[in-house]
Amino acid sequence: MNAGLDNPAVDELVRLPGLDEGRIDRRIFWDADVYERELHRIFARCWNFVAHESQLPRPGSFRTAWLGEDQVIVVRRRDGSLGAYLNSCPHRGNRVCLAEAGQARGFVCNYHGWSFGLDGALRGMHEAGVYDREPGFDRGALGLTPVAQLDTYKGLVFATFDAEAPSLRDYLGAFTYYLDVVLDNDEGGTEFVGGRITSVLGCNWKIAAENFAGDALHAGWTHASGAEAMLGRPVPSLGRQPESYHVSVNGHAWEFNLDTVGNAATLDDPVVLDYLRGRHADVVARLGELRARMVGSISSVNVFPNFSFLPGQNTFRTWQPRGPHRTELHTWVLVNRNAPQRVKDAWRKGAMMTFSPAGVFEMDDGENWEGATRSNAGVVTRRQPLHYGLGMRSCVEHPELPGEVHRGQVNDANQRALYRRWSQLMQARSWTELVAKDAA
Amino acid sequence: MTLALDVATVLEVHAFLAQEARLLDAERYPEWLELFTDDAHYWMPGVENRSRSDPMGSYGPQRMAYFDDDVSDLRKRIQRFMSATAWAEDPPTRHLHVVSNVEVEPGERTDELRVHSVVVNYRAQHDLDAATLYGRREDVLRRVAGELRIARRTVVLPHAALPAKNLNTFL
Repeated sequence: MNAGLDNPAVDELVRLPGLDEGRIDRRIFWDADVYERELHRIFARCWNFVAHESQLPRPGSFRTAWLGEDQVIVVRRRDGSLGAYLNSCPHRGNRVCLAEAGQARGFVCNYHGWSFGLDGALRGMHEAGVYDREPGFDRGALGLTPVAQLDTYKGLVFATFDAEAPSLRDYLGAFTYYLDVVLDNDEGGTEFVGGRITSVLGCNWKIAAENFAGDALHAGWTHASGAEAMLGRPVPSLGRQPESYHVSVNGHAWEFNLDTVGNAATLDDPVVLDYLRGRHADVVARLGELRARMVGSISSVNVFPNFSFLPGQNTFRTWQPRGPHRTELHTWVLVNRNAPQRVKDAWRKGAMMTFSPAGVFEMDDGENWEGATRSNAGVVTRRQPLHYGLGMRSCVEHPELPGEVHRGQVNDANQRALYRRWSQLMQARSWTELVAKDAA
Repeated sequence: MTLALDVATVLEVHAFLAQEARLLDAERYPEWLELFTDDAHYWMPGVENRSRSDPMGSYGPQRMAYFDDDVSDLRKRIQRFMSATAWAEDPPTRHLHVVSNVEVEPGERTDELRVHSVVVNYRAQHDLDAATLYGRREDVLRRVAGELRIARRTVVLPHAALPAKNLNTFL
């Protein structure tokens, strides 16, 4: 029995009956049974971001990553292909890899010396002779459990535990048109700068994910002090941008305007702006005029369920669920591989100055998200629906932009799209069932 | 040696670090910034959980850092703290910076000292929101116009994951 899966009250809650009227039930940010179901039906099922290929340069390069609360080792195998396995020994369950990243010839469990190759296969163990004399013992059946599917999109590595999940290309769908804005604006592609910074927020993971999916509204208000520090002026009124949008595909969401460098300008570094201006004609040639104006514009993105980034600031991050009221934030910085070193340095420093735990923008987010989570401890507070009703009639057809397009980046359309996808996955018993519904 | 390692100098360093901690506790950031030389570098690298045998080490230059700042970068951060619209700073955080394990060594230049210390930062906000951070510092202090100034500070945290939602102070 599982209180998250076999629970009619949760069935009813995750239908999100108020969503089309712009209402969300707060219990989805608080309830432990909802959270348990999320681990099964969102994180064990969706394609999760696990690494950038540049972090796994050679055979034996590895890093650990999370799909919900399941940890995997992502590794470049001897033949150059990528693999990912549960970081848990099939003997007694201990972790076999304790470092977050590095270079290895294999993985050995500290407990009884069970050892595994880069392909995840069991190689041997302490007192191997005893096992060899054990009738019926089959090493071949006892490797590290691999993910069901692993694939890359232009440098980003994703994995899913669900064999039924659609291919990564189908999962991302037309959202790749948008992803190319950051992943393919230069012929050399991208890389992550070295390092990784992690912090812990006392909030539900969805509150962070939906913020990046669509919350342009908070930029000018929450981050007024950060903008003042970095730009010497407030964030411009985003509600008055002549051309700005919420777009979404399969719950993946991008809010943006077409000011080209609005986000990038907050790094307050001429090296970054000169680079973007110098690249503009090339980017237009690669991606067209419209997408060239998205490269560093005021915008934010969430790839469903929990992989977010900011074009221009180039902070890339995952919101890892750690219980309904706690989120581990893992962050990296993306740069174009062919960019000069001083440009990469400028982005590394700028992203840290703005969006790290000590960053002048990020510092203000955690406080709000923790408050938005914790208030729901109150049983009466929890009964009050939340308002997600902005832009209910903002849906438009656009000659170039694919997916569900809404006019105006100050909008709740992307947040509703995220929760619609969440609701579908939380209700569906399998990917097959959901894909059949998508097609119908 | 213009800076002999006599008792008076060691005491001066202790007093300097205690005064600095008091300025941080009181969020007197502009005065705190005056303790730095114009060419100062303030670095707090991100810390990774890597194996002992990994030549990368757990931190290093050119990698992500909480701070990799010159004085103008520090000034921007302080500008945010001082802003009336820094909503997350009101009600204010109540800070304590505890500095200990101070060791004073000769510096590379005759007007400089190398100073090791350990810092513990306790932050409390609202009723029970609290975070404790630890760091090991290595400072280069320089004598400028008769006063000690921080020319370089490296703070290495033991935390590979920051056990807090933000780092709204300096260590």
